[in-house]
Amino acid sequence: MVNAWTWGLIAGTAAASVLTFLLALVLRRNPRAAGLGALLVPVAGLWLWAFGITADKTDTVTRKSFSSMIAVGSGIVKVLGPSSGPNQPVVSPTSIASITAVIPRGHVVALFPAGVPLSIVTTTSSSPAAAFWQGMCILGVAALIAVVASRQAGYLAGAALLAFGLYQLVAAAVFTPAAGGTSWYDWLYGMSSRGTVCAVAVGSVVAGLVVIRYTIVSDMLRRMTLASRVQLLTQTRAEAVDAAAAELRRLERDLHDGAQARLVAIGLSLRALEKMIPANPAAAAALAVECREASALALADLRDLVRGIYPPVLAERGLGDAVRALALDSPVNVATEIDLPGRPPAPVEAAVYFAVAEALSNVAKHADARRAVVRVYHAGEMLRAEVTDDGAGGADPTRGTGLAGIERRLAAFDGILAVSSPVGGPTIVVIEVPCELSWPKISTC
Amino acid sequence: MRVVLAEDLYLLRTGLERLLAEHGFDVIESVDNGPALLRALVDKRPDVAVVDIRLPPTFTDEGLKAAMSARHEVPGLPVLLLSAHVEQLYARELLADQAGSVGYLLKDRVFNDDQFTDAVRAVASGGTVMDPEVVGKLLGRRARDEPVTRLSAREREVLALMAEGRSNSAIAQRLRISDKAVGKHCTSIFAKLDLAPSDDDNRRVLAVLAYLNT
Repeated sequence: MVNAWTWGLIAGTAAASVLTFLLALVLRRNPRAAGLGALLVPVAGLWLWAFGITADKTDTVTRKSFSSMIAVGSGIVKVLGPSSGPNQPVVSPTSIASITAVIPRGHVVALFPAGVPLSIVTTTSSSPAAAFWQGMCILGVAALIAVVASRQAGYLAGAALLAFGLYQLVAAAVFTPAAGGTSWYDWLYGMSSRGTVCAVAVGSVVAGLVVIRYTIVSDMLRRMTLASRVQLLTQTRAEAVDAAAAELRRLERDLHDGAQARLVAIGLSLRALEKMIPANPAAAAALAVECREASALALADLRDLVRGIYPPVLAERGLGDAVRALALDSPVNVATEIDLPGRPPAPVEAAVYFAVAEALSNVAKHADARRAVVRVYHAGEMLRAEVTDDGAGGADPTRGTGLAGIERRLAAFDGILAVSSPVGGPTIVVIEVPCELSWPKISTC
Repeated sequence: MRVVLAEDLYLLRTGLERLLAEHGFDVIESVDNGPALLRALVDKRPDVAVVDIRLPPTFTDEGLKAAMSARHEVPGLPVLLLSAHVEQLYARELLADQAGSVGYLLKDRVFNDDQFTDAVRAVASGGTVMDPEVVGKLLGRRARDEPVTRLSAREREVLALMAEGRSNSAIAQRLRISDKAVGKHCTSIFAKLDLAPSDDDNRRVLAVLAYLNT
């Protein structure tokens, strides 16, 4: 059964399979596409193999009369000659051994005496090498389609399997199976019995339906995830924009009522001072002191404002030291465990910093805790911060606006905030944001 | 007194130069970035350096880093750091080497030029000067601790001024009490905080800060 033609086909199939998989990996496509492509190839290979085993078939027949050897179809017919025996063919043995020709259908090939067993081989493909390349070409196209577009390939493969199965069923009903035949339909369904044809047909139809269903489901899932992702992004973007606008309004108000107002007052005082100097130097000196004090207050206002926008220590030292500074400033005894080999992107750093700051200020305000621990580390593409305290617990994250604001801010980076606070404690706040770390440039000086 | 000044903002730099010159300091070099500061400190070995923490080229804590590495090469090199904000974290790092001769003040403090130049001189003569805001934070942090709560209100005032680097007589003047009374308060504070008493101003400040910082 397993002849050279089949071996060629199996080799071609395996090579195309591996090639498809590697190509898909190199192109970094969906791994599902790579898997499907690699699966498609052996399936197609099996069909060709099924043709292959019937295409090179040896039949031993015993003819009863002189006129019985007639070609049944056009094709290359090779008469190998009679097996050993007393009866010799009518034509000479040398020419019998080498009759290889394209013979029109219905023509007499040779006349033999009755009762001579003959080996007759009919071939539709001339060599294993040709079969190999033929297989490679067909499978290469299938693999390429699978790699370039997984979804379309899925539908295509499903439709092809279905069509092939249906054709086999029709063929089995209409034509008589003839494995050795050389008519076009013989080659196409190429099986020797109706049972085999029907089994292959039903298998193909089922496989086609499964592939189509799988493709539809995965396609729909993809679309659904895409839709929910769009919804989430729309929501978080709107919230981020709102939050930014609210923040700007707060800054404007703070500047307007704080530093700006103080600077106006300083300006007015300085104007008065100018006029006062010649007439009353003593009063002018007193006013100058007042101006100086007012400018110190304006500075203090601005300092507080800046701390709320982007804490200077975060800009200067990054998240690790900024969290250490937070821990130092907290009235509660806070220990820090920080393991950050690089720096997260600045917006993520700021969001996580303010999240930790909010959590620590809640610890100080509500938890009645003696000590707290902040852990900040990066593991598996995730930046994680955990704030644990030994307080009374029972914190409700839905109450109050602080944590909700932090959650919205984190959501803009696909980050989450989770609070576990059973009554009696401990309270654990976990902040998690997917991000990559960047490594600081190594200084050469 | 030879001073190296590091400040990147032109107006502030010239303002500080003028202020220091008016008070009899000799500003031997003014720089506007971290690497130049490190070179100036190591080459010129000034009596004191007045350094802005945030400097180019990185605009992070370049000034602090340059000052620290200069002090690594020249131990005890007097450095007074100025910043628009004060952090306990930086104060800890400055105090870590226990060598004294360090100061850490808010930039606002230059408004009061007498106090500011006093601080520069104190640092130059080996003292430790911390901004009242840092001291306040350190005290606030230890406010819950048992020993600090044992101090009387007056003793806490004296402790805060001590941590700012003031001598006994300066504290007496500030609180309008006698030198002797300050001495008594100090003894009492050291006893309550379990610190070994000492005559040396700088060691006294460091002891207080070390206690507050733990």
